[in-house]
Amino acid sequence: MTHHSALTVHQISKHYQDGNRQIEVIRDLSFNVAAGKSISVTGPSGSGKSTLLNALAGLVELDDGDITLEIQDKIFSYRAANERARTAFRRQHIGYVYQFFNLVPTLTVLENVRLPARLNRRPDLEAFASTLLGDFGLSDRLHDFPEKLSGGEQQRVAVARAVLLRPPLLLADEPTGNLDSGNSAQIADLLFSSCRDQNIMLVLATHSHEIAAMADTRLHLDARPSASLAPA
Amino acid sequence: MIPLALLRFLRRTPWSTAMALVGMALGVASIVSVHLVSASISSRLDGLVPSSLADFSYYLHRENLHTHDYFELRRRWRSGALPTLERLSPVVDETAQIADVSVRVLGIDLLSQLPSGDIPTASGAFAFNGVWVDKSLKDTLSLPINGIIEAPEGTLLSDISVAHDLLDWPDHQLSYIGLVIGQAFAHGLEVAENLLPGFGAGLPIAKPNLDIGPGWQLVNTAEQYPARAFGKSVLFNIAALGMLALLVAWLLIYQVAVSWLRRLWPVFDRLHGLGVEWPHLRNYFLGSIGVIASIAAGLGLILGWWLATKLLTMSVPGNAVALDLSGWVVIKAFGSALAVCLVGGAWAFRRSQRGQPQTLAPLLATLVLLVCGLICVIQPETGLAGGFFAIAVLSLAAGQTIGPLLLRLKRWSSNIGGSYLMRVGVREALWHPAELSVALAGLSLSIATAIGVGLMVDSFRLDFSQMLDHRLKYDVIAEGNPASLEAVIKAPGSVAQASRIQHYRSADIRVDGALVELNVTHMDAFESSRYAHDKRLGDSEVLLSEQAARTLGVLPQETLRILGETMTVAGTFSAFGDLKPRLIVDDQSAIAEAMGAELKMASVAFESNSPKALARALKASSSTLEIRLQSDIRRIALNVFDQTFAITTVLITIALLVAAISVYIAVTTLRLNRQTGRQLLNTLGVNRVEQHLMNLAMGIGLGAVAMIVALPLGVMFGWILCNVINPRAFGWTIELQVSAGALLWPCAWGMLAAVIAGMLQVGDAEEGAFGGR
Repeated sequence: MTHHSALTVHQISKHYQDGNRQIEVIRDLSFNVAAGKSISVTGPSGSGKSTLLNALAGLVELDDGDITLEIQDKIFSYRAANERARTAFRRQHIGYVYQFFNLVPTLTVLENVRLPARLNRRPDLEAFASTLLGDFGLSDRLHDFPEKLSGGEQQRVAVARAVLLRPPLLLADEPTGNLDSGNSAQIADLLFSSCRDQNIMLVLATHSHEIAAMADTRLHLDARPSASLAPA
Repeated sequence: MIPLALLRFLRRTPWSTAMALVGMALGVASIVSVHLVSASISSRLDGLVPSSLADFSYYLHRENLHTHDYFELRRRWRSGALPTLERLSPVVDETAQIADVSVRVLGIDLLSQLPSGDIPTASGAFAFNGVWVDKSLKDTLSLPINGIIEAPEGTLLSDISVAHDLLDWPDHQLSYIGLVIGQAFAHGLEVAENLLPGFGAGLPIAKPNLDIGPGWQLVNTAEQYPARAFGKSVLFNIAALGMLALLVAWLLIYQVAVSWLRRLWPVFDRLHGLGVEWPHLRNYFLGSIGVIASIAAGLGLILGWWLATKLLTMSVPGNAVALDLSGWVVIKAFGSALAVCLVGGAWAFRRSQRGQPQTLAPLLATLVLLVCGLICVIQPETGLAGGFFAIAVLSLAAGQTIGPLLLRLKRWSSNIGGSYLMRVGVREALWHPAELSVALAGLSLSIATAIGVGLMVDSFRLDFSQMLDHRLKYDVIAEGNPASLEAVIKAPGSVAQASRIQHYRSADIRVDGALVELNVTHMDAFESSRYAHDKRLGDSEVLLSEQAARTLGVLPQETLRILGETMTVAGTFSAFGDLKPRLIVDDQSAIAEAMGAELKMASVAFESNSPKALARALKASSSTLEIRLQSDIRRIALNVFDQTFAITTVLITIALLVAAISVYIAVTTLRLNRQTGRQLLNTLGVNRVEQHLMNLAMGIGLGAVAMIVALPLGVMFGWILCNVINPRAFGWTIELQVSAGALLWPCAWGMLAAVIAGMLQVGDAEEGAFGGR
């Protein structure tokens, strides 16, 4: 399936309250991503990378600005949607890969990957889950629980789960932060190639300059809320 | 710095802290309320024995007891032939009509002991020819009163010589001799009785080895005072249920300590990584949980006192209830909270630090205890305590199966089908034996007890109802003053309206030293059928209640010497609710003739075509008699039956509630430490309704695990209660009926408790001990 999609981030701001202190994490940030393109987000710890990804997932509410995702000529505005609508939208249209704890421990490898298909009532994708895991080199681990897998294997399962629905948008929050260099490179390749092949927009937060350089565009966040956008 | 870090942690997790406090306070409250209820009943039962006789542990009887017999025994004691005997005293004990009042006259040797009591006379003078009475007789008798004593209504205490005069007995006649016999572990037993009121009633009573020669019958306090023994048996049953509440409360307190540790462990782990020594961290942990335990014990004391007052008001409506918080109950409350918290917490800390030790010792110990429990079931000599020991051992063994059961279910859980979210929910219930097994053990135990008691009560109610069907064959029953009853059977009105009149006479007699109630009536085939005997009772035959057959150790068709006559036991009958063993003989038997005027009219039964009219006529003829219709008696009897088990129901409900809180605390801790899993599902688009459904599945999973253990355990409890506990406590047997209601209701309540504990998410929003990405 080919996506005609685009992500638009328009002058978004987000702050957190800590007692009487207001901590501004993102201020007036804007950028666009086209279908099949990727953007890497870099910056020091506390610069707001995870907050940005959570905002793109609809997990946190914005203070100002808006994020819109255009899918097949329909535009979904994050600001206009309530939490319930954002959850339903996320379930259908967004894949997410975390750094840690990204598999449900009480589901087997195959069940973890099939979970989005089940949640979206897409039985047609269940067979694809096995194929995908085979492509990712995990065909012999389908019925194992995550606790028996290595870190690299767990992260490959997480990527497979995130791309199963071929969502228009895939978010990855430091997906290689907990892996050795060999596994890091393998996971990065998987992410970028899967997104390119399936026309998925990828927003990837990372501390690794090598991985950030693999994206089409780079977004650098400073410790103070200001951002610079540059082509990779 | 470390206390500061802990204090900040407590402030950041106020709900967890509050739940730990509330959970532990409820555990302590259940301990305190059960203790106070038991202590109150025990105190009332002790009042059934006049305080001056309370010291005696055994009683010696013989036919025509003479003062010579007493002095002969005393001479042998003085010579050292009876070394276990600490004291002996002659007693006159007989009921007589004094000033038209039925009075129990007790004559004791005032030279050896003076009764303690309030002195009501202005001068406070003491006279040897005076008497001590209970407060009901204070203004009734025209005798010099030395004081008011604590004793059952209608009791008079005096010197033996005064009693002889009042009863018009010869100077040498005695009723029995009271004995004080030294007991091994007496002090330990007294402490145990103070900590667990009713405990002593369940211990087997060994006959002391006294070389007293032929002709004597040695009876213990239970045989001497069957009503008190009956009550104490009821109390022991409550105390045993109280032990269950105590055990479940301890499990809850331990669960709180473990949950507390699990919340703090990531902080400790990091502090240890920074170089803080484990003993140092353990002391901080024990200090913080100790403070919570102390505050919870104080709150639990107040709550438990309030709960006990409500419980007693409910069980004895109309009576004023005043409960004292004695030192023992304070020790029990604080001791339970602090000891379980600190010892259990230290053990849990050690296990967290060093990992779970792989040892067969607990399994072997449980197996040995199970064998001991089996012996207790088989051997009636182990008494009530043996029966309850078997239940305790079964509980322990069942509790130990939860952990391994969860591990097996975890391995099997990949076979669970259905919705993925349901799979996640159910597997969450099976995957965490370390966090959940203690709480699930408590829940299983509560459900099993509810099933066991439910099975026993249902079976009992069925047998009781069948007994009423047999017994309530007459339309109208009259009870009351013997003279009024005598008058009523001769009254022309009642005779005209009744198609049959049956009168019953009774007296208390001793058979083989045991106090029994003798009933005398015309035992034709109709009357005999009321006692499950299908033909007329012969002149030399006797029917025995189950209790009497057990007490006297006889079976049907064996013979029994009663008042010098040899009688054949024609059969036995159920007599649920009888306080004393009972014998029934025909009014033409030699025993009935020998008793003569000592037999007092106890009740009269009528058959009539118009029972209501007859009842009205009887009421009109005598205002002092109690006239009841058959239907009223059935209703009242079943009401009393249900009221008897009201406290039991409340105690089980408390245990179930405490167990549910324990599960909730365990589940909340589990969730708080695994928040990232929930965040992940949220990211995947799992909405709130689906999260609630997952929690519902988890609750059902928890309930199902508890039931796997509780169902067989509950049926075993029911069997032991019907076939071991009841015969030993009350002398009657109950046929176990496995009713669906008794199995399903506790399961439904247990499942509901587990589901609520699983679904309740208050406090889950708190931050975990560490963040996750």
